Amino acid sequence: MKFKKLKLFILTIITAIFISSAAFAETLKIGSMGPLTGPYAADGNDIANGVRTAIAVIEDEGGIEGFDKIELFTEDTACDPRQAVAAANKLINNKAIGVIGAYCSSATIPASEVLAEEDVIMITPASTNEKVTERGLKYMFRMCGRDDDQSKAAVKFLTYKKVKTIFIIDDKTTYSQGLAEKVAQGCEAVGIKVILHDHVNQGDKDFSAVLTKVKTKKPDALYMSLQNSATGSLMAIQAKRNGIEAIMLAQDAVYHPQFIEIGKDATEGVYLTFGFMDAETEAYKKFIAKFKVITGTDKPGSYSAYAYDSAITLLKAIKETGGTDPAKIKEAMLKMNYKGASKDISFKENGDSGSSYIIFKVENKAFKNYWDPETGKLFSETK
Amino acid sequence: MEYFIQQLINGLTLGGIYALIALGYTMVYGIIQLINFAHGEFFAAGGYMGVILLSFLSANGYLATYPWLCLSGAIILSMAYCSLLATGVEKIAYKPLRKSSRLSVLLSALGMSIFIQNGLMLTQGVYDKAYPTIFSQGGFDFGNIKVSYMQIVMLLITILLLILLNLLVFKTRIGKAMRATAQDKTMSSLVGIKSDRIISLTFIIGASLAAAAGIMVGMYYGSVGYTMGFVPGIKAFAAAVLGGIGNITGAMIGGFLIGMIEIFGAGYISSEYKDVFAFIILIGVLYFMPTGIMGENIDDTRV
Repeated sequence: MKFKKLKLFILTIITAIFISSAAFAETLKIGSMGPLTGPYAADGNDIANGVRTAIAVIEDEGGIEGFDKIELFTEDTACDPRQAVAAANKLINNKAIGVIGAYCSSATIPASEVLAEEDVIMITPASTNEKVTERGLKYMFRMCGRDDDQSKAAVKFLTYKKVKTIFIIDDKTTYSQGLAEKVAQGCEAVGIKVILHDHVNQGDKDFSAVLTKVKTKKPDALYMSLQNSATGSLMAIQAKRNGIEAIMLAQDAVYHPQFIEIGKDATEGVYLTFGFMDAETEAYKKFIAKFKVITGTDKPGSYSAYAYDSAITLLKAIKETGGTDPAKIKEAMLKMNYKGASKDISFKENGDSGSSYIIFKVENKAFKNYWDPETGKLFSETK
Repeated sequence: MEYFIQQLINGLTLGGIYALIALGYTMVYGIIQLINFAHGEFFAAGGYMGVILLSFLSANGYLATYPWLCLSGAIILSMAYCSLLATGVEKIAYKPLRKSSRLSVLLSALGMSIFIQNGLMLTQGVYDKAYPTIFSQGGFDFGNIKVSYMQIVMLLITILLLILLNLLVFKTRIGKAMRATAQDKTMSSLVGIKSDRIISLTFIIGASLAAAAGIMVGMYYGSVGYTMGFVPGIKAFAAAVLGGIGNITGAMIGGFLIGMIEIFGAGYISSEYKDVFAFIILIGVLYFMPTGIMGENIDDTRV
């Protein structure tokens, strides 16, 4: 009898411990979306790694009160609208509070509609198409810049370079074609003649036909609006081989260490528009240090830092509100104003966080800050 | 005129690649009536093997001293590797299904394609791999027309491989056995031809040609990625159909035609619709000649 009572007592205690730990041990679930397979898998992995870095940093700082674990669900969109919707549904089923992603605007837009129905917060680190934040979605935020600002920066630079004629090539995605059209309109408005706005297909490797066309038309500038940095390298290599002497200008999706690694010498002198990032700030150094621990490389993909900042912002907001109420998290995010790894972070009511596009130039196998559209001056002059 | 000639050269280079890949489709179809959807992946695997070998040679300094020796060595080794890969694929995915319906083999081929593509992604990473640039530079200038050394090398290797293949199929005993197996598998095994071995051999030849194409694409364009097999695979399949699937000469003609149509469509009309032109021609030809340009009787397939 005595033994039985003792057993019962121990059993009760054990169950009590389990129940209480289940009650207190709550896991914070957040999601990340991006193309982890398919031709844009490199960029999707950059984003996922950025988010992983952010979680590691927050956990090192003691985590978030009320949650003893942060769990990350990484979903694959493959840059495909249908798969993006499926990924969004999966994250909803997993009860993710917030989602960082996606990469391609064409995947972000349909996924965000699904997430919006369930009031899940979405912060895109990389989708620059204007429509992303212009649909009045309550919980849609954007960490990177917008294409209308990017095209303005590009056109300003072309005027600065005294370009008279331009040849534009895009690869027909929501993002790349949208941006190319904005640049074409901008050019017409300031009197730069658009000789031809041609398109190539995603996944093409051979651009000899269109580049031969470029060569015979002899434009002052060639604008490459491509969804992928490797495609950018292929085009740069073939342009050099064809003897094209025009100024080559590309955009943020081409801005990636891979562009130079593959293109090698052919990328020297290519200009690109991308958000200004100060590698000297504390926040950036902290990001890089942790990123190296997690991925083993200190050369992050172009959107890793934006993904990192997105996740940090989300986690900070959750920490501040101490709960998972999306309305409160949104409020906390809108109030935020701090120095992130990629830029100074403060959101507008529609979810945008402002653009900071500058012109980079590839010099000695590295991206160098070249020209600032705000001041209209070379970085080498201002320093 | 200069523009036309330059585009013609571009078209020949691209067409040569398609022709090499199309041969693999057409040979396999000719012998076992299987559309081998994993064929594009052999092309990608060949490209990757090439970059691994050449980077190794370049890191050890051999590439700078003996460039052409290294190049031929790399091509031969990656062809050998893809032959092994193709034998494995054939043994695992196709041979057990030889007696079952054609549809199951087709699905097995699709599955194999996804498997190899993801295998490449997992082992080689998601980032594209760069080829050493030693071969991609330099060329001849004729006025405004540029012909790079690599284009000439590619064309020469393509033609050489095509001639060798023709000799093998039409002038040797093995070739005769292949043609016999293609005509009638049961009958040919009755007269003492090991048809299983001949089928494996056909896979091997097709895959090694695709591997050669993969390594040349890598060198010419400068990089390889794990998804690179898909688009050229589809185009080469179209080329094989255009030429008359099952017919070797047809596949060569089809490959060069698809390449030319694509380049001229892009050069003279719009590169936006270049694939559309290729497929319009394909549909047009098939409408009037349902068996393709060189296709003979539909039930009388040849290697």
